[in-house]
Amino acid sequence: MQTPDPISKPITIAGHWNFEYRYFAGAVASRFFNEIKINRRIMGTRVPSTGRVLVPARSFCDASYERTGEWVEVGPEGTLDIFTIVAAKFPGLPDPPFVMGYVTLDGADTAVLNYVRGVDLTDIEAAGNKLMAKPRVRAIFSDVREGRITDFHFELIAPI
Amino acid sequence: MGISPNSAYIQGVAISVTWADAERSLPDLIFETVTGALSNAGAKMAEMDSVVLAAHDLVDGRSLSSMVTAPAAGAYMRDEIRLADDGLVAASLAAARIEAGESEFSVVAACGRASEGDFQRTSQTAFDPFMIQPLGLDEFSLSALRLSAWLQRHPGLEDSRRRAGQARARRAGSNGRALKSGGHAPNLWHPLRQEEAPCMADIVVAAILGPRPARVRIAGTGHSTDSSNVGDRDLLRMPSLAQAAERALSSASMQSRDIDLFELEGATLFDEAYALEVLGLAAPGQGFATYADGTGINPSGGGASGWCYPAMGLVRLAECYLQLTGQAQGVQVPGRLRAALATGFSPVGAQSHGAMVLVTA
Repeated sequence: MQTPDPISKPITIAGHWNFEYRYFAGAVASRFFNEIKINRRIMGTRVPSTGRVLVPARSFCDASYERTGEWVEVGPEGTLDIFTIVAAKFPGLPDPPFVMGYVTLDGADTAVLNYVRGVDLTDIEAAGNKLMAKPRVRAIFSDVREGRITDFHFELIAPI
Repeated sequence: MGISPNSAYIQGVAISVTWADAERSLPDLIFETVTGALSNAGAKMAEMDSVVLAAHDLVDGRSLSSMVTAPAAGAYMRDEIRLADDGLVAASLAAARIEAGESEFSVVAACGRASEGDFQRTSQTAFDPFMIQPLGLDEFSLSALRLSAWLQRHPGLEDSRRRAGQARARRAGSNGRALKSGGHAPNLWHPLRQEEAPCMADIVVAAILGPRPARVRIAGTGHSTDSSNVGDRDLLRMPSLAQAAERALSSASMQSRDIDLFELEGATLFDEAYALEVLGLAAPGQGFATYADGTGINPSGGGASGWCYPAMGLVRLAECYLQLTGQAQGVQVPGRLRAALATGFSPVGAQSHGAMVLVTA
């Protein structure tokens, strides 16, 4: 084996980004979060031309390209449309395994993402097969709420 | 629609798939790949008058990444456009400039070096900071959610799913341009399986475009963008992919049955296979089976040969070019190939799609 030439030794340096930002939610998303925080309810906004209720609430509909209007309370129950089960540890996320999925709340026309708790994940394949049945779920609000999407999660209404 | 007086032709391409090669910096890899594309085209950099580069700061870990990467693609004292978008979009823009008579010869390059960062983690930061980031979705979890919807409609297709995975691995094994060592698979979420992951790699791809008649002409392009709100999207219908392909075929005055070869981009095996159903090339539920058994469907091995955003749409296009010109080597599809369709997508979660139709001139 050849002795490495120190002059030719490749150099690698570490890099790290840690910039701080301040994101403005805007008036509509702020009300959406404050309704969760203060009134424990999930709100959508209605699209005037189509009548669709967009959840989470937003200021405009990108499909019809118009401002939204009326505020509409939705849920707290809904249907788990699609889901995924996270079995590996990811920075900033709960210890695995856990379920997250998109739920269309009653009265809404779009789905909202959140954790789905109360699912027996002893056997992930078996749990996944059961969740394919689009179970009904209910939004559960945290006792301490900060005006964040994580102020609530979903739980199965009936065991699967 | 006939052939434009300023049609854009692909003059040559090069693809580089490596992993953590400490002997080469990212600009080194770009320089070598662009040099390879020029050689493949029988052209010199002095003939080029424009450069279109697709790179992404978060992937490259360099703010304004293209400041250091564009010169390596030949941008010095040339008309250069930088895109934080998929490489196929860069090719589309270069072709449009040539067709408009704005450019004679253009270098198109795209790069993503997965070994220098953590693509899966940085992709989380591309999502909305209020609704999605706190819950940790990444570029691959959208595929898991889509698959859960597909399995609700099409349970019990285990055999075709397994055969598609085997076919993809076999094709990647025959592809001399595929990553041969190193790389890694991102952690996939259920119901995806690890063997359905892409092989994260350091990828640079380049193409030389120009109006000089060559063996392959760009006959049509299409683009489409879906809602930014994932909860609003029809994850199964994938309308932006369908619309982009329809527009590319329409502008080429062709239909999908006229296409001999498809290179369809996807973040996972499922997304590659499911694209066949979206484009009407496979019956509902038959995407995996068609992927496994079809001829001229991702013969490159797709993401199993190496994957890193934002290079992949241009890789799919370059693979089509190599097939149409008989240069695909170990994965060359037999018989005369006249037309090919390549697709690419942009984050977040394939919100935007592009498609391009190539025909032999």
